[in-house]
Amino acid sequence: VSEFALAPVVAITLPTVAVAAIYLSRSRPRVRELWTLLAAAGALAAVGSMLPGLLAGDTYAVRAGTLVSGVPFAFRVDPLGGLFALLATGLWLVTSVYSVGYTRGLGLANQSRYFAAFAASVAATLGVAFAANLLTLFVFYELLTVATYPLVTHAGTDRARRAGRRYLAYTFAGGVAVLAGTLLLNWAAGTTTFASGGVDGLASASPAVARVVFVLLVAGFGVKAALMPLHAWLPDAMVAPTPVSGLLHAVAVVKSGLFGVARVVLDVFGPVRVSDLGLDIPLAVAATATIVAASVIALGQDELKRRLAYSTVSQLAYVVLGLALLHPAAMLGALFHVAAHGFMKLTLFLCAGAVHVETHTKRVSEMAGVGRRMPLTMGAFAVAAAGMAGLPLLAGFASKWYLLVGASASGGWLFVAALLLSGVLNVAYFWPVVYTAFFEQPVDSDPKPLVEGPLGGTAGDARPAEVTLADGGVPARPIGRETSWLLLGPILVAAGGAVALGLAPDAVFLRLAEAALPTDASAIRGVMP
Amino acid sequence: VNLLPLLVALPIGGATLALALGGRRRSANAAATAILAGQVGLATVLAARAVGSDGGRVSHVVGGFTAPFGVELALDGVAALVVVLVPSAVLLVRTATRATRPAAFDALALLLVGGLSGVAVAADVFTLYVFLEITGIAAYALVAAGGGGRAAVAAFRYLIVGTVGATLYLLGVGYLYLATGTLNVADLAARLPALFDSPLVVAGFALTTVGLGVKVALFPLHAWQPDAYATAPDDVSAVLAALVSTVAAYALFRVVADVFTPAFLLATPVVRTLALTVALGSVLAGSVLAVRQTRVKRMLAYSSVAQFGLVAAAFLLVNETAAFGGVVHLLGHAVVKLGLFVAVGAVAARTGARTVEEYTGLAERAPVHAALVGLLGLTLVGVPPTVGFAGKWFVALGAVEAGAWGVVAVILGSTLLTLAYVARLVERMYGPLPDEALRLGRPRPATDGGAANAASPLGDARVAVALVALVAVALGLAVGSIEAMVAPALESFAVAEVGR
Repeated sequence: VSEFALAPVVAITLPTVAVAAIYLSRSRPRVRELWTLLAAAGALAAVGSMLPGLLAGDTYAVRAGTLVSGVPFAFRVDPLGGLFALLATGLWLVTSVYSVGYTRGLGLANQSRYFAAFAASVAATLGVAFAANLLTLFVFYELLTVATYPLVTHAGTDRARRAGRRYLAYTFAGGVAVLAGTLLLNWAAGTTTFASGGVDGLASASPAVARVVFVLLVAGFGVKAALMPLHAWLPDAMVAPTPVSGLLHAVAVVKSGLFGVARVVLDVFGPVRVSDLGLDIPLAVAATATIVAASVIALGQDELKRRLAYSTVSQLAYVVLGLALLHPAAMLGALFHVAAHGFMKLTLFLCAGAVHVETHTKRVSEMAGVGRRMPLTMGAFAVAAAGMAGLPLLAGFASKWYLLVGASASGGWLFVAALLLSGVLNVAYFWPVVYTAFFEQPVDSDPKPLVEGPLGGTAGDARPAEVTLADGGVPARPIGRETSWLLLGPILVAAGGAVALGLAPDAVFLRLAEAALPTDASAIRGVMP
Repeated sequence: VNLLPLLVALPIGGATLALALGGRRRSANAAATAILAGQVGLATVLAARAVGSDGGRVSHVVGGFTAPFGVELALDGVAALVVVLVPSAVLLVRTATRATRPAAFDALALLLVGGLSGVAVAADVFTLYVFLEITGIAAYALVAAGGGGRAAVAAFRYLIVGTVGATLYLLGVGYLYLATGTLNVADLAARLPALFDSPLVVAGFALTTVGLGVKVALFPLHAWQPDAYATAPDDVSAVLAALVSTVAAYALFRVVADVFTPAFLLATPVVRTLALTVALGSVLAGSVLAVRQTRVKRMLAYSSVAQFGLVAAAFLLVNETAAFGGVVHLLGHAVVKLGLFVAVGAVAARTGARTVEEYTGLAERAPVHAALVGLLGLTLVGVPPTVGFAGKWFVALGAVEAGAWGVVAVILGSTLLTLAYVARLVERMYGPLPDEALRLGRPRPATDGGAANAASPLGDARVAVALVALVAVALGLAVGSIEAMVAPALESFAVAEVGR
């Protein structure tokens, strides 16, 4: 353990500096895009440089001063933080490339603000990942809300404004709950610093106070983790540009909520105390209800991004369920699912965005024939969707396997049933998308008013030289056959990641997840299979 | 040589000088600026000396009479913050002002600085009254400086209500004198504990705090304040919003902490509950009224009603942590409101926008101003790591320590109430709303008369506001050093806590 580790500071500083650099070069789009890519690559390298150490059991600590008396402003990178940071920076790099293609393709307004807010969001996410105590985490958790607000309201329409208002109301209310919980924890336990297996000071606190602290913290983080009934902001926030929905509302923002829950369960209370206080079962039940209810709601969503959003709500609850089961296998599956879901859901969103750029189609019912026009894109979509449903050899299988093992080992047959049912529902809400895209013809379904040419858009040899889309947007310049490689490349990388996670889960993420669990056998109920 | 009386003598002498130079406006302006700069330097030196001395406090008895009889001035950590804040804020607003101001205006501004500094250093409840009145007279006249009927009415109303408040305070002082035979703060603190159950003393507490509550503009005694802020010229309202209520709340702190001492609140739980209820009611009512305003300045004015409710509650909790939070919030709020009022004036000068609706799309017309208003707004909400968060954290932590769960709930809930009106503004500024913005067009300065629509005397002011925003963030990070500075002044809270 070193007193001042450079890597976490670099990782947080790079995106922060990028915000200023993007603002200063606002009149030069290419320079601006370069800053984003450089910062993303640099942050990923900085996080990557810590991986060998993290896997070897080291941590990286930085103390940057005092926040308020008795609470230091401090960072400490441990395997759990490393897992989250690696996911966020890795996918930020992928999404940055995609963002360039997307913003060019749609001719998005206010691109400087877009890229700057994006970089600020990633900086705040890394702060959440690296925070050494709950108050430092809270600082970045709130900054993340502030940084993502302009992205949610980017379109500037009435609908976007309403979504933004709802987003702020929900997340700040959650923030108040987290603050209240932090305050009480600081008062009851005398510290807010994370400790593997739980904060010692809580042992002497009264169980009633401890329960209130737990409920406040989990409810507060549960807002961003979209735990029902605190989820309503997420489907509305889909009004944001697609890369935002992809990286922030499937990876960074929602997972900062999950990460908060994981910290509370693992490093504030510790699995044993959560179980002693009788808090595990209520949380598991809430998560299970969310899994099933959100999947059912997803079935009825015609707008593709809203369907994905409800799928996110459901999948995030897998992680909460895994943590609440307190069985080592379930917790391992939960933490691995943070990464697995990140890769798969990002792929799905990026595909949805590419379809939107190329055909201006947002609804499932209008997607007939899209698969033939954009085979690689929709192929990646199908692979990621299959992973979501938990098909073997894909990322989702590994995490669900561990979740199922943990659930059955701890005797929660209700939870096993819910997980299996959810797998079926996943197929049920993703299959229509794949079927419509690949096996229906445009003539069989409603006409797509925005598509031009026999196969739609600019595909194939029949693509017209000059196309202006009906809403005045500028079509993407196709480098590949189906869409710009700036869009297609990231999609394939993300989908490849989802496959790689399924083929070799223990390469990095599973080992980080394993290292993040308390090492002391007595701190956990049950044993690893 | 003790320089403490100079803190009052310099600005008041300067006011006389400015009047004497009356015919030559430029010389008067230059002299006023120089005196303000000198006052900032003097206050900084004295503040450093006071904080560095034994016990963190220096005092001086004017005219050679010994303590209980003479007029005592004292400077401790909390007063040090106020005496530095006062001239700095006025100087900052001056540099941001583009309009030419007559010598009489300079004289009034300096008189205001003298009065406010006097309140900060008065260690005698009657001297405090005198300086409160000097402050008031200067403030009434400055509100009227905008000219026009509305400003005159608002200034007149302010004068009547302000005088009533000051009179109530004076009446309370009279009761205290009857009960104890002294006016000196330290002397009162020594003699009062024996008389805590005397109706005279309880009435004295009620009258002094209600009188100061009027000056602070706590709900339901706030009605003068939004009118006064909204109709005063933009440079005046920035100074008033940042300093006048702040210093009145500081006087409240002195009365609670030093004159009656928190032990009085413990001895009279009914009084404490009543006062806390008023303070918390102020938080809720001020926020709700702020959300309903259409004019930005009025919205910010009502926001002050709410924020001072929080400060007053912090002082009434009888907890050292909470009292420290109250001091931080007092200072933080002053800085943030200074920045916001200057920014709002600058926006009016640049675009003519004065209502929330006219702020639509401001981010495109004045991006720097919009960003600064947004940043300061978030500080007001209490987004970490700004000073707004630090204040709220300590007040809430103190309320938890004191077991005052209702107060905890209101403090945390007030975050969301503050968000409600700040988000309304931010949403307007950053939500372009294409069709609506088109319909509104570029708002021009209204020409329908009325002081509220008068052209702003402020200039671009972006550097000044940026400086204030920087201070607002820096103070949040430097809260540890503030704690060391003001800790000796909060001792009475710690003592009362032990006796609990």
